[in-house]
Amino acid sequence: MISIRTIVSETGEVKNHNQKYPYRLNFYSIPPIEEITTEEFEVFALDRLQVLKAIESASLRSRTELQVADHIRDISNQYLPLHSTDGGKNYPLEQERRKDHISHFILRLAYCRTEELRKWFIKQECALFRIRFIEENKEERQAFLNNERLNWNDLSQNEKESMKNELSHANPHIKFNDETFFIVDFEQVLDLVSRRAVYIKAGKAYVPTSEQVTLVVGEFRKRLSAALNLASRAFPSIDDERILPLLNNINQQYLGKTYVYNNNTIVDKVTADNVDQMVGHFPLCMQHMHIKLRELHHLKHFARMQYGLFLKGIGLTVEEALIFWRKSFSSITDEKFQKEYAYNIRHSYGMEGKRQDYSPLNCNSIIMNKQPGPGDQHGCPFKHFSEDNLKVFLTQTGVKKDEHLKAILDIVKGKHYQVACTKYFEITKCLEDSISRGDDERHLMETIKHPNNYFEQSVKLSKINNSQNSK
Amino acid sequence: MDSKEDEAATPELLSFFYSRFFPYKTYVNWLNYETESNGAFKNRELSFTLPSDAYLRYNSYNGEEDLKAEIMKMCPTKIDIGAIYTAKPKDKKTMRLSAFKPVEKELIFDIDMTDYDEIRTCCSGASICYKCWKFMTVAIKIIDVALREDFGFKHLLWVYSGRRGVHCWVCDENARKLSNERRAAIVSYLAVIKGGTQVSKKVQLNRTLHPFLRRSLEIIEKYFEDIVLKDQDVLGSEENWSKVLNCIQDDEIIKKLSNKWNGSNSKSSVQKWDELVNELEHAASASGRKYSKKAEQLQICKLEIMFQYTYPRLDEAVSKNINHLLKSPFCVHPKTGRVCVPIQPDDCENFDPFEVPTVSSLYQELNLYVEGERKVHDYEKTSLKPYIKYFDNFVKGTSKEAREKNRSQASMEF
Ligand code: SF4
Ligand SMILES: [Zn+2]
Repeated sequence: MISIRTIVSETGEVKNHNQKYPYRLNFYSIPPIEEITTEEFEVFALDRLQVLKAIESASLRSRTELQVADHIRDISNQYLPLHSTDGGKNYPLEQERRKDHISHFILRLAYCRTEELRKWFIKQECALFRIRFIEENKEERQAFLNNERLNWNDLSQNEKESMKNELSHANPHIKFNDETFFIVDFEQVLDLVSRRAVYIKAGKAYVPTSEQVTLVVGEFRKRLSAALNLASRAFPSIDDERILPLLNNINQQYLGKTYVYNNNTIVDKVTADNVDQMVGHFPLCMQHMHIKLRELHHLKHFARMQYGLFLKGIGLTVEEALIFWRKSFSSITDEKFQKEYAYNIRHSYGMEGKRQDYSPLNCNSIIMNKQPGPGDQHGCPFKHFSEDNLKVFLTQTGVKKDEHLKAILDIVKGKHYQVACTKYFEITKCLEDSISRGDDERHLMETIKHPNNYFEQSVKLSKINNSQNSK
Repeated sequence: MDSKEDEAATPELLSFFYSRFFPYKTYVNWLNYETESNGAFKNRELSFTLPSDAYLRYNSYNGEEDLKAEIMKMCPTKIDIGAIYTAKPKDKKTMRLSAFKPVEKELIFDIDMTDYDEIRTCCSGASICYKCWKFMTVAIKIIDVALREDFGFKHLLWVYSGRRGVHCWVCDENARKLSNERRAAIVSYLAVIKGGTQVSKKVQLNRTLHPFLRRSLEIIEKYFEDIVLKDQDVLGSEENWSKVLNCIQDDEIIKKLSNKWNGSNSKSSVQKWDELVNELEHAASASGRKYSKKAEQLQICKLEIMFQYTYPRLDEAVSKNINHLLKSPFCVHPKTGRVCVPIQPDDCENFDPFEVPTVSSLYQELNLYVEGERKVHDYEKTSLKPYIKYFDNFVKGTSKEAREKNRSQASMEF
């Protein structure tokens, strides 16, 4: 049994509260105090993670708010059901809310350690809270807000009438006469300000009740981010050897940090989420850019072009490509991504501008054109890496024997980069031993001319091997 | 008075300007905001571009005297102002990175004529003329009123950039203390033109205009015909009118209008605009389409084109980041020799960039000045006088706000 208390008490003051959950909504100000099993610990955490992950990918697929909410409701009901108080007869509310409460706090610990993790967690949790708040009925909402002592100044009836035009122009979708407005500093509703979805005058924003959710989520975000900062400082003091690995495991899973390369998997459908599993089929240039992308969360223009078109060539659709790059560039804002990158991605799929459909670059043009400058990751490793770096990279990616290493490097010295690439293929796919025994000049393969051809050959080969193995 | 010719600022003229005209005292007062023992000024980053093109960042000074001494010694061709940091920027190297953080900076805006190249027909690149300068006038009017009325800012210093643009320094205390996130929200509120060179239609409006857009539209309507249709003649040549037509999302209308306009040079842009507007209205009210999404789109399209061709084009990156540097007022532009003087926003239509004093004109004015009884400052002997006076007054305003704040804080501590 693990005592949650011992973990969470580090993160803040433990208030004494009874284990009753009067509201479905929760600001998670009070950490849970009880013992749970390691098993429950892990299940709770992973279930909540499923939901957060679904939120992330739903929003990346830029569906409408309604579609996102529908989708999240389905996933939630599956992994983390949470019903409103009036459903008390049919559902085990106490249990649901307990799980919601505890799982939130476990993930809080798992995701408090770095700025990047915190940002990801806050974003998804805010989205989840938002959906729940909107779904909750009016009375429950108000009761919850009263309990949290959250209220804002109302605009008086007279003032409201005097600003009728401005208010209704800023919020064309409201029923003006039924609406109440709150007066807050514009800083409290930045999201509405940046979308011009609220009337502002002299630094005050006039927020209609229908946008109250923005205020509440703003408060939720503020509190959560303060709590996470606090928790991040407390983290080093957690030394329970049962929990630490669990926590580390949890937060690693969802940033694509660890990619499992499984030679036997051939995925038929390429999606944003399974690119990592296919890296083993990639030629050296693409492997390099993929690794750099994961490391830097960014690639410069020509690398995005070379790698992006290659991925397109192996079957990544434009929708998936947008998701793949959005997730990969994890340190930039959505806005920046939309503005600076999304266009180019769609463009490379012929969805914008001249609507030219670009095809993946071949080896020749990768080797001859666009020589990489400082900070560039594109190009062909055989041509554009120093000998030392190439040696290291070859060793890391499966060239184990010295004679093999030497053979490849010799070919590189003769400036036959594509031949070297072919040799690399043969060596890493263990074709070498079976073929070079008899005739040194014989190659099983034709020389690699195109990265996508390399990929296809690799996939084909592993399919053959698989079917042979299963016989 | 003849307009002053461009004349590169030689090192001699620059050092003459720095020794006789640069308003050190007011400048330091401005950037210090009445903090005790120059606290804010000491932690303010100033960076210099030298005649050799070397760029020196993270300079900082204790006050008027060492600032003046250094400027006289270096004779920078450009001075940039950065943020106020947690410590003196010149000590940056000796500090832990985490201890050196920007804490305050004016909210700044940079509007540059080169961003207007795709819509102006008179000039391109670095050059400007009276015709395209009017875009800057409209820009000042729209942004100034929005910052004051919507966000409640009061201390806005507009400055001529010395060549082809304008800068705005919002100096209110709450503006200086804005986080990056808040700066970004304000910029996003104000930015209407979106998309890079590969996007032809850069404005998307909703059917019901937000009050801020409504107010901006009123200003745009006053200038659109004059600037865009008459001066820029954007429906004149085929090359230009086809760009306008590209903003219409209806191939039929585009085809109709281009057939009408092709080969006929007799119609003015104003006449063509009327035809375009008629065509849009006609198509929108065509049977079956009323109240449809398409009809709405066509109705709003006219306004979208007007915004695209008149609304200010902001350099968003400059405004969003507290770290961002911006050229200081009262620099001298090295190519034109013009002084970066303040512009009065309520009189900006009368601001004439070609009348702005240059270092060489100031040199002549000073030489021609006949000494009178009363001893006066050098700047008072020249056409720089009204600008310096305006700046003095502006800084009186920001200092007053800061003093009142200090006082109310002191009384609270009692
Ligand atoms: S030879 Fe071609 S496929 Fe091989 S690494 Fe170089 S560019 Fe990529
Ligand atoms: Zn011009």
